[in-house]
Amino acid sequence: MRTVARSAGRRLALSNLEKELYPSYGLTKAHVLEYYRRISPFILPHLQDRALTLKRYPEGVDEAFFFEKRCPSHRPSWVNTAELVQGDGERMTVCLVNDLNTLIWVENLASLELHVPLARTGSPRTPDALVFDLDPGEQADILACARVALILRDLLFQQRLAGFVKTSGQKGLHVYVPLNRGETTFEQTKQFTKAVAEVLQRSYPDLVTAKMAKEQRKKRVFINWSQNDASKTMVSVYSLRAREKPFVSFPLTWKELEDLSGQGDPEKLHILHSEALRRAEAAGDPFRDVLVRKQKLPYL
Amino acid sequence: MKDRRSARFPAKLASAGGEGAGQGIWSGTISFSLVAIPVQLVKAVEPGRVSFRLLHRTDYSPLLRRMVCPEDGRIVPPEETVRGYEVGPDKYLLVTDQELESVSPKRSRTIEIVEFIDLREVDPLYYDHPYYLIPARGGEKAYRLLVEVMRRTQKAGLAKFVLGEREYLVALKSAEGALVLITLHYSEEILSDEGIVPEGEAVDAGERNRLKGIIQERISDFKPERYADERRKRILELLEKKVKKGAAVEAPPVEPEEGEGPADLVRVLQESMRKAKRERR
Repeated sequence: MRTVARSAGRRLALSNLEKELYPSYGLTKAHVLEYYRRISPFILPHLQDRALTLKRYPEGVDEAFFFEKRCPSHRPSWVNTAELVQGDGERMTVCLVNDLNTLIWVENLASLELHVPLARTGSPRTPDALVFDLDPGEQADILACARVALILRDLLFQQRLAGFVKTSGQKGLHVYVPLNRGETTFEQTKQFTKAVAEVLQRSYPDLVTAKMAKEQRKKRVFINWSQNDASKTMVSVYSLRAREKPFVSFPLTWKELEDLSGQGDPEKLHILHSEALRRAEAAGDPFRDVLVRKQKLPYL
Repeated sequence: MKDRRSARFPAKLASAGGEGAGQGIWSGTISFSLVAIPVQLVKAVEPGRVSFRLLHRTDYSPLLRRMVCPEDGRIVPPEETVRGYEVGPDKYLLVTDQELESVSPKRSRTIEIVEFIDLREVDPLYYDHPYYLIPARGGEKAYRLLVEVMRRTQKAGLAKFVLGEREYLVALKSAEGALVLITLHYSEEILSDEGIVPEGEAVDAGERNRLKGIIQERISDFKPERYADERRKRILELLEKKVKKGAAVEAPPVEPEEGEGPADLVRVLQESMRKAKRERR
């Protein structure tokens, strides 16, 4: 049941490698570890210095999962951590996935999904990016999200802001706007995304809603602006999602999104782990700019 | 000239002088020789104009003024604007804020009286805008003394005074125990009366005496309260009638949630949205 692997000069104790974490797809923990090992050059920069929320599926995607915000106390000594002070003043130790070994260790805990905040632990009040979380309501699909994302791209472009899009790995899309200025606060990103969401809602009332209420979301795309908050996390780009099939939250170029949505097949907007590896290894990380590009929000 | 002010003036003066620090347009000191009197500058007149908002006729939304580029009809945000001095058709000299600041007078906290003059010598053409000066705490005694002496000597102080970005020539005069500051026009601002004075032969002595008689019959004291802005009065009456009839229309409520958004941002986003929608078609 236990295997000891050598990785970057460390001995990693891995367990239950044959366990099928995606049973209906036949994907084992070994496959999951292999996916994360190969995707590590692309995903690690996006996890760097961010408080990881583990979403663990010890019995696979069909069984119960649990969130873990605290870094497990049984962690190896070499796992990087940070101390966070929570809203209630309580301190919490969190894992920082800053290297391959930590990533493998976390995946050995069957944390299929990796969720991180928009801010790094050193500057928890100032996010590096803002996000428009496009979530299709009942009877809406990812193609509707694509339409909204493309409108959003144009709207941002007119404000001289570059946006970057990725699939959520589930039914939606996430549009990121890099800031990387160390001074834009969550209050501002929330205010901005909310204003944008409401303007879009007014312009496309049949397609977009900025309101959380279920009834409003029917047949529409909900722009969840409230994700722009210090207490919220987003699934990391390149993270697997725990669904029937191993879909990945995967970055797309705007051109790709235009082409794919033009084909009218929602399935094409769902990227499997194998395709994710192939595309990332061939084309690099289209989401890299999210980490480095400096942009200023207008009128705030 | 004595009855110029309304009866509520002294009360206003008293209340403003008490707690009102920071209420005025400016605060600083009047100084000359060894005298320094801490004062505040407050408005002396309030134009009685009835002002109206422009509404959109279809839904009564109050309209906003925006800067629009004639080239593409787009709203231009403030940070995209620069100052240009027109030197010819389609030719401008650009002047930056810094440049303008470098030639503006330094902000000053004093009204330095340079000389005392007889205000009767000053043509009212020079009068620009009146303010009251009110004593700040600790300055009351010196203030009263200055007002008293200026009244007795019938003199007014002439001073240079920086307000905002401009340096003004001002006259300080006493009026009913208070100090009034009047900004004066510079002489170069006064237009010449050349061509206004008609030329011609001397007037006939008989006609002159007749007109003198007419004027003398109508001599009276200046009692401004006898006159009122009749149009303003009638507009206010009209409005009152409308209120009583319940004739007020309602502008569409700005959606409360959206009200929070920075107005400029929302406006620009909406504008962009309209543009993007057009292009999408």
